[in-house]
Order: sequence, then C-alpha cells, then structure tokens
Amino acid sequence: MDALLGNLPALWEGLLTTLRLTLLAFAGASVAGVLVATARVSPVPVLRAAGTVYVETLQNIPLLVLLILAVFGLPEIGVRAGLFTTAVVVIALYQAAYVAEALRSGINAVPAGQGEAARALGLGFAGSLRHVVLPQALATVVQPLGTVFIMLTMNTSLAAAVGVVELTAAANRVNLVEARPIPIFVGAGLAYMLLSSLVGLATGVLQRRLAVPR
Amino acid sequence: MSAGSRLLFDEPGPRARRRTRVATLVSALALLALAALAVRQFAANGQLDAARWQPYATWPMWRYLLGGLWSTFLAAVVSAALAMAGGLLLALGRVSHRPALRWAAGTYVEVVRTVPALLLVYVVLFGLPRYGLDLPLFWKLVVPLSVSNAAAFAEIFRAGIRSVDRGQTEAGLAVGLTRGQAMRLIVLPQAARRVLPSIVSQSVGLLKDTSLGYVVSYAELLYSGRVLANYNHLLIQTYIVVALVYLVVNASLSKLARGLEARQAGAARRAATGDAGRPAPPAAPEAALHA
Amino acid sequence: MIELRGNAPASTRTRRAALTVMTTLSALSLATVAACSDGGSAAVPPGGGDAGAQAADPYPNAPVAAASDIPAGSVMEKIKKRGELLVGGSLDAPLLSQQNPVTGQVEGFDADLGKMLAKYIIGKPSVKIVNSASETREALLSNGTVDVVFQTYTITPERAEQVAFAGPYYVSGLAIAVKKGTTGIAKPEDLDGKTVIAGANTPAIPAIKKLAPNAKIVTFGSDPECVQALKQDRGVAYVQDQSLLVADGKSDPGLQVVGEPFTTDPYGIGLKHGDDQMKSFVNGWLKKIQDAGLWQEAWKRSIGTVVQGPAPTPPAIGSVPGS
Repeated sequence: MDALLGNLPALWEGLLTTLRLTLLAFAGASVAGVLVATARVSPVPVLRAAGTVYVETLQNIPLLVLLILAVFGLPEIGVRAGLFTTAVVVIALYQAAYVAEALRSGINAVPAGQGEAARALGLGFAGSLRHVVLPQALATVVQPLGTVFIMLTMNTSLAAAVGVVELTAAANRVNLVEARPIPIFVGAGLAYMLLSSLVGLATGVLQRRLAVPR
Repeated sequence: MSAGSRLLFDEPGPRARRRTRVATLVSALALLALAALAVRQFAANGQLDAARWQPYATWPMWRYLLGGLWSTFLAAVVSAALAMAGGLLLALGRVSHRPALRWAAGTYVEVVRTVPALLLVYVVLFGLPRYGLDLPLFWKLVVPLSVSNAAAFAEIFRAGIRSVDRGQTEAGLAVGLTRGQAMRLIVLPQAARRVLPSIVSQSVGLLKDTSLGYVVSYAELLYSGRVLANYNHLLIQTYIVVALVYLVVNASLSKLARGLEARQAGAARRAATGDAGRPAPPAAPEAALHA
Repeated sequence: MIELRGNAPASTRTRRAALTVMTTLSALSLATVAACSDGGSAAVPPGGGDAGAQAADPYPNAPVAAASDIPAGSVMEKIKKRGELLVGGSLDAPLLSQQNPVTGQVEGFDADLGKMLAKYIIGKPSVKIVNSASETREALLSNGTVDVVFQTYTITPERAEQVAFAGPYYVSGLAIAVKKGTTGIAKPEDLDGKTVIAGANTPAIPAIKKLAPNAKIVTFGSDPECVQALKQDRGVAYVQDQSLLVADGKSDPGLQVVGEPFTTDPYGIGLKHGDDQMKSFVNGWLKKIQDAGLWQEAWKRSIGTVVQGPAPTPPAIGSVPGS
C-alpha cells in the first residue's frame, strides 16, 4: 500500500494526463468522425471514395504504428508539435474512423421513407441529414459510440510508448523504482475501470434522453 | 439505386447532377492539393531520396520483415485460438442458469473490457517475474492478448447465442434434450454461423494488438521494423513500409469479413421470405474492442 | 458493420480491383513466408537467433577448453552435450549486439564474446540468442532459460544477490549527447530543469534523477528513436551509454557528445546464482582470450570502429564489488 500512497503525486499526474488525452481525443474524434461519416454518405463520389479510403486505412493499421510514424515522421516534413498534442491528434483521427463507421450504420438504419418525407418538405441534403436523419441515427448509435469511446479510453495508454507519461507509463515508472507491481498496477487498472464506467454511465443517460418515440 | 441511398438523396435531376459535378471537381482538387503538399514536404526534407528507399527494394530487408510478419501471424493465431476458447466458455457462463457462473463470467468480461491491453502486458512483463513467474517472450505477448480478447469474443458469442430464438431451445428441451445438448446441438451451430463476420473483424483487431510485441521485444512485424531501423537508421521509411504491410494484410482480412457478411445477409433475406418474425442477425458488435 | 448498399457502381469496381491486388499481394507474401520460414524459435525471427550455428567461425584462433576443464555433471558439460550456448542478449544494440538483417547474424562486442565462449565450451561458435530486453534477466538465469547473459549487464552488489557475475569484461559509462551547436551543457548537473531524452528502462533514468533531480525525462523505446527525438528538439540532451552515443555521432554529424562519461558501469557476464564452478570456468576463459589478444580484436571490430585509438586495457577480473 505504501508503494501506492508514496507515489500518489506521480500517479495522479499520470491520471490527469490520461483524462486530458481522453477528453481532447474524444472531442476530436467526434468532430472528425461526423465529417468522415458525412463524406461517406454524400452524393459526391470523390468524397465517398476519400471517406472509404480514410476508414480502411486508419482501421487497418495498428494505432501504435500510427503514433510512432506521426511522432517521428511529422517533424521531418516540417510539422512540429509536442508529444502530447501529436498523441491527441493521432488518437482522435484513429478513433474517428470507428466513430464514422458507427454513425454510418446508424444512418443506414433510418428507414428510407424518413428521408423521402424530409425532401418532400423541401429540405436539402444537409437539412434532411441534420434535422431528420441524424437525430434518429444518433439514438441507435449511442451504444456503439459508447463502445468506441471506451476503446478510445483504453487506447490512450499507447501514448506511453511514444514518451507521453500518462497513467500506464506513470504506473510502469513507479513500479521500476518501487518493484511492487501488484498494488501499483491494480490501482492503475481500477482508475481505468472507473473512467470506462463513467463513459458507460454517460452512454446510458444519453441513450434514454435521445430515444426517439416512434 | 437501392433503398440505402434513397434515404439521403433521390435520383439526381440535371441541376443536382451539375452541382455534384462541381463538388466532385472541387473536392478532387482539394484532395490532390493535400497529397501534393505532403509529397512536396517529404521531398523538401530529403525523405524521398532514392538512397533512403533503395534498401526496401532489396530482398534481405523484405525477408527480415516477412519473418516478422510470420511471427505476427503466429502470435495472432495462437492468441485468437486461446481467446476464442476462453470467450466461448465465458459466453456460456453468462447465459448459464446458475447465478454464480453468470456473475463470475460477467465480472470477468466487465473488468477485462475496461483495462488497457498495454497495462496487462506490463503486468506480465514487469509484474509477474517479481513473483517468480517469468514466461518466454512469445507468451508474454500472447497471454495478455488472450486475456483481454477473451472478453471481446465472449461478448460476440453471447450476442450470437441470444440472437437464436428461445423457441429453438425450448423445442430442443421438449424433445428430451438436456440443456447442454440443446446448447451444443441446436443453439451454438446457428450462433457460430451468425457471428462469423464479427469474429473475423475482432481477429483483425487482435492482429493489430500483436504490435504490442514492440513493447515486449517479441520479434513480430513492428519490432522487426525497429531492429531494422536500428540497423539502417531509416526510421521513417521503415515504419512506413511496416504500416503498409499491416494495411495490406488487415484490409484483406476485413474484406473477407465483409464477404462473409454479404453472403449471410443474402442467406438471411432468403430465409426471411418464409419466416417474417425471425430476429435479425446480431449487428456486428463494434468491430474491434481494442486497437 | 452494415454496408451502405447500392452506393455507386464505380466504388464497387474499385473495391473489387483493390481486393484482387490485395489478395494477390497477401498470397505472395504468404508464399514467401512459407518459403523462407525455417521453424525458427519463437523468441527471435526465423533465421535470426540460431544463425550463428551455420556461420563461419569469425575467430578461428579462439581457444577451445581441454576436456579436463569440463567436469562431468557441470553446466558446461550440459551445454556441450546440447551443442548450443543459450545467451540472453539483445538484437537491437548497435556495436554490442545488433542483428544484421542481411545475414541474420548478430554482430557486436557482446555477441562476439558470446560466440567465443560457445566455441570454448562446445568447439564451435554455436550460439542462440534469447532476446531478453526487459528487466527480467535474473529470472531467465535462475530458471535456466539461458546459460549466460551478455547484455551490458552492469555488476552491482544488489544484482549479485540474485545472479553470479563473471568478469567484469568491459567498463563503460553514461555520457551526454546534444545537437551540434547547443551551449551550456557540459556535465549532468547542467541538465537540471531541462527536458532530457533517455531510452525506456535504461540505467540512464535513475542516473539522471540522481544528478539532475528537476530534469524532465522523456523516454523512447530504441536508440534511433531517441536520436530522432533529439534532432527534432523533443529534448535538449540525450543520455546513453558512451559507445552508443559515439556510434550515433559517427553516422549523424548533427550530433555531438559532450564531456566524458559521468558514470562507471562495469559489465559482467551473468550466470546462475551460486554456480561457482561455471564462474571460475568463465573467468578462466576471459583471461585466456585477453592474453591471446582476442578480446582486443573483438573490441576493434565493434566499438573500435567508432572510437579512436588502440583497444583499452581490459578491467581486472573480479575487481568490482559483486563480481
């Protein structure tokens, strides 16, 4: 227990970094995911193709590889950003592919008649997507999106491999000094579980509030 | 044009077609400009020099990387087999009529689902040896991956089992089968077929997870890339090549998953014409839980 | 994942074309993998670790132990019967133990000494390297996964409670590298309050913490990554073993090693705890190759390619607490 308590400041710092990583990547993945999903269902073939290529590429390369490539490759082509910033952007873009796929299957689950009715009322592509299709799609995708966001929370731990001292890296460093793995790693695991269950809780609340009565 | 696209747009008229053409042109130009900018930046920084790529036109580099890929496959296949076996047991536990079993299996899934695979790797790598359990490198990668993916597979199998109509089990019991027999002979075969696409996509996720071998220093594809980069100092080129290999392999596997899914959707449609009340096959539960 | 059916025929066509390309490629890669895989051990890539067995003897003059030196029932006899020395080492430590992907050979100072020890016991330089980059070498030795450890294994009294050390066979130390043109960094104390790069799980981390407690340490997994990070200004200095830094400086003129090593790390040959018989056997071998000039030759072929001057005098065997 002392190993845990004596190093609380270091672990707490790590937890805060994980929280910041998670929240920022969360926001980024949501925005980018909506954009990619829109591109994939748009009437413009080039955009659809670009969306498909994006999703296929990002989903099929391990996040760890993307992180290493971005951290060491981007400065070489003149893009200089801190480790934390790079990690946030890469995780956000990676998870955006999963958010986009969840959204797309939600959009496809909306009956075609809904879109036809929206157009009959004079709404265009953007209008019908925003006012009619997306609100219904969102209700069905809350659950899959929640899973994607739990996955995102887990994945922030990979930032440890590119020098970001988040919770996993902090736990590992403390363990190297203290050599008391059980309390340290169990503590870190509990923190992750807490984070994920918060996401799960939020998902549940959202799902009830977004439910569209049919 | 089928039902899917009618949701968002009708068959376009002349004006809409013109608009689409303009948008096509604009977005194509924008994407090209983006690609050109990236290439220009790479070239300006000397990353496209032939000398920097030449090693990857030689066989020994590829032989080495393919050796790594082989180890990746090995780790992925063994982890998948263990995780699926564990997942099946957990799923059966979760639908069992014994509360203790349900509770134990449920707890395992809920706990493991919310702990990062990397943390589990660290436990096996740095934690267990302190208590005298030092696994060979291969197992240091495979054990944590199996432990974490078992939870994901359990959820997939459970969704499959649940998608089989209750009446099927009841009919089995009515003709005198035991619970176990009904599960084994009636429910599981149907469930297995329905969850096949999800299993393949989860396996892609697992194959991506094996890149944690980089942390364990098990010589899979990514770690082989690291040894290569150490040797030839071509960090960026090496990791780009590694990324492309992952992309080709995983995209082929994902393709396979989609092919299976399409075949099943066809089969389900055919079946549905005779049985309207039948529940739809489970929506692929969230492709992959982990990276 | 539900497909958006009936998108546009064009995308289906491109998909199909992409599929063909991908399947061909993957079939190709599978075929090549099958062709070149030789059932290598799980610990190292195929054709990698056990390549030492097929290779020509790099040190034809290296000594072979007399039969009377290998008593019945000893670990040496077990190794000789097995026909292969199991060495805990690295594949990615340039100059010391780095795998050459072209030949599959592991090259460097540590690797060459391992081959010579194998030859001394078995009669041929037959080595299998078990990659043990993690902090678990004590366990590998105690449960018999490896016979010896050649891996920049610094002798300390704490470690000597869990393993036996022959040697020391080499003395190295941590040094500081900066980007060329950096001023104001000459000794470890200058790093206080600055961002410093170090390899993950290397002895550099505790050393920096001790001498520059307010330094912010950023860690990366491998040496080239650390070099790249230094060049990209992710830290003002990079702390690593001096010989490695010198090698990095040779291949990258943008790097500069400042000052002398600020630690003294005597490397030992890790053996199973309490095996005094093997320890004196290995120490005897070390003395022989030092007297024959083979130690110096191995140094010249590896570290000597980047460090100027003649080979240093090897450290006296048993001169360090813990050895």
